[in-house]
Amino acid sequence: MLYKVLDKSAYRDFVKALISEYEFIGPKKKDRSVHDFVPIKDISELDTNYMRVTIPPAKKLLFPPNEKLVTYEVGRKIEVRPVIESDEEILFGVNAWDINGMNFLDRVFTTDFIDENYISKREKLIVIGMDSKPTETNFSLSMGTEYAKDGFDIYLTELKDKYFIRIATARGNEIVERYAKVSDATAEDFRGYDKYMNNYRKKFKMSVNIKNFYDDFELIYDNEDFWKKIAKNCYSCGSCNLVCPTCFCFNIKDDIELNLKSGSKTREWDSCMISEYGLVAGGHNFRPDKENRLKQRYRCKLKTFIDKFGKYACVGCGRCIEACLAKINIAEDINSVKKEVSV
Amino acid sequence: MRKPKVGIFGLTGCGGCQLEILNLEDQLLDLVNAIEIVHFTEAITEYSDNYEIAIVEGSISTMHEIERIKKIGDIAGTIVAIGACAVSGGLNCLKNLYGLEKAKELVYRDKKKLIDSIEVKPVDEYVKVDYYARGCPPNRFEIVDIIRSLIVGKKPEIPNYPVCIECKRNGNTCVYELGITCLGPISRAGCNSRCPNSVSGCEACRGVIDDPNINAQKDLLKEYGLTVEDILKEFNLYNACRGKTIEQKNK
Ligand code: SF4
Ligand code: SF4
Repeated sequence: MLYKVLDKSAYRDFVKALISEYEFIGPKKKDRSVHDFVPIKDISELDTNYMRVTIPPAKKLLFPPNEKLVTYEVGRKIEVRPVIESDEEILFGVNAWDINGMNFLDRVFTTDFIDENYISKREKLIVIGMDSKPTETNFSLSMGTEYAKDGFDIYLTELKDKYFIRIATARGNEIVERYAKVSDATAEDFRGYDKYMNNYRKKFKMSVNIKNFYDDFELIYDNEDFWKKIAKNCYSCGSCNLVCPTCFCFNIKDDIELNLKSGSKTREWDSCMISEYGLVAGGHNFRPDKENRLKQRYRCKLKTFIDKFGKYACVGCGRCIEACLAKINIAEDINSVKKEVSV
Repeated sequence: MRKPKVGIFGLTGCGGCQLEILNLEDQLLDLVNAIEIVHFTEAITEYSDNYEIAIVEGSISTMHEIERIKKIGDIAGTIVAIGACAVSGGLNCLKNLYGLEKAKELVYRDKKKLIDSIEVKPVDEYVKVDYYARGCPPNRFEIVDIIRSLIVGKKPEIPNYPVCIECKRNGNTCVYELGITCLGPISRAGCNSRCPNSVSGCEACRGVIDDPNINAQKDLLKEYGLTVEDILKEFNLYNACRGKTIEQKNK
């Protein structure tokens, strides 16, 4: 890791240069309530000072909601062509917990099998991180994802009159050297950074009692009343999954052309909260009740991947809480598990 | 591959669903190459009673239509209902809300005895429907998808999940956040969240999902200052056949 500082007066020139030299994706205010990561053509469109979460999360750039995987032709012999599309682009202004969300997906899409579609996009995505203010539903601090230690090329932290810059890759270093008037970080700058981080961590208001959840969850697992109560108002609408930066389930659809000679396969974001998710050939459904689906979602988020690769599948961003019309709240539910098992 | 013989029929409806098939433009030629259309109420004058697949638009609202649909049911091996009217009764069911006699009185006055008009019902009240292409109008690509699946012998994939899924895939801001009410959380997807995409609430034209959380929807609407009556009014637009008549409600 290299540490540099950029004077605030030079920030705009740096960003403008990136916008003109690269395909540049950054947060832009979309309507009165949310921001979205979209292509930016002029610095005036960029709004890194977003408070509300961006919906959908930046994972859409790596794992798009609809993505063609193969096309095929059926003639005398069958021809199958993979479709792998990726372009070099900059993702600017993505915050620590969303970078940690991408880091989680990196593990998912490279463990057991290598997902070429994902990886080719990830490798070409130049990530420039930046802190954003946590919303009142954010519990990243409890999940240990409020700080990104890798998964980015460059990370800018806004201090009083300068940006503290962490550079994690050679590619990031080239960009900084070429487009930013930086100087080496001094001992004073490091002190400023530490002070900033202390303050920053105090801004997270929501906390969850995630310690021992791994064991607590087993104790509550068969308590039907508990799960029924929690899931009572759930619509099984899947919004919580689809806005989540770490949810990775997809469904593959086969589109055969009417000429019956060619076609394609497309994957689309799926949701474990809808009843069709547990439906298998022959009509049996493994999880017909919404309370079992919610329980399974929590298990997947907070337990399964601890076993698999030592990570939670939740970065505490709070998007699912904001998206849920039934006001189902993963943070409160984690805390209720603790309460329920301690009585 | 053998071309299946297909009849496309119009019952009580506006004809818009059949029009959707004609609107296929690019795909229309492929479609007529893949199937043999022996009857098409809105598009061809020939009539044949020799078909394996019947595609039916419109609800049943006359005695004559009961006979027609029963005959179709006897002939066709597979019936596909297309559009809200055929699937759930659709807009036509608003008539039922008045009660049959009252409705006839209002519309036909002294001629009412001469008119063949019965309580409106969806197609599957009279014959077994195999597949449904929901919506008003139905999604023409879904109709193609059903036909294509029938030709290659697999089950068409028709969503039974709420509109929210498609809405989130499209990256929309939930319209509730913008102060607009929406039936999306309990309504069937498959329309690619057409209404929320243009910032208006879903009206459940594809009907509700199999296992909707009606109580949650009521709680939610209450929070936005809406009553159950407001909701029912929206449900009624396309789903009045499920509801009660005004007289039944007043009791
Ligand atoms: S928890 Fe909320 S967002 Fe998730 S499926 Fe249930 S109602 Fe939808
Ligand atoms: S489960 Fe909820 S809080 Fe956790 S990462 Fe997903 S959207 Fe964010």
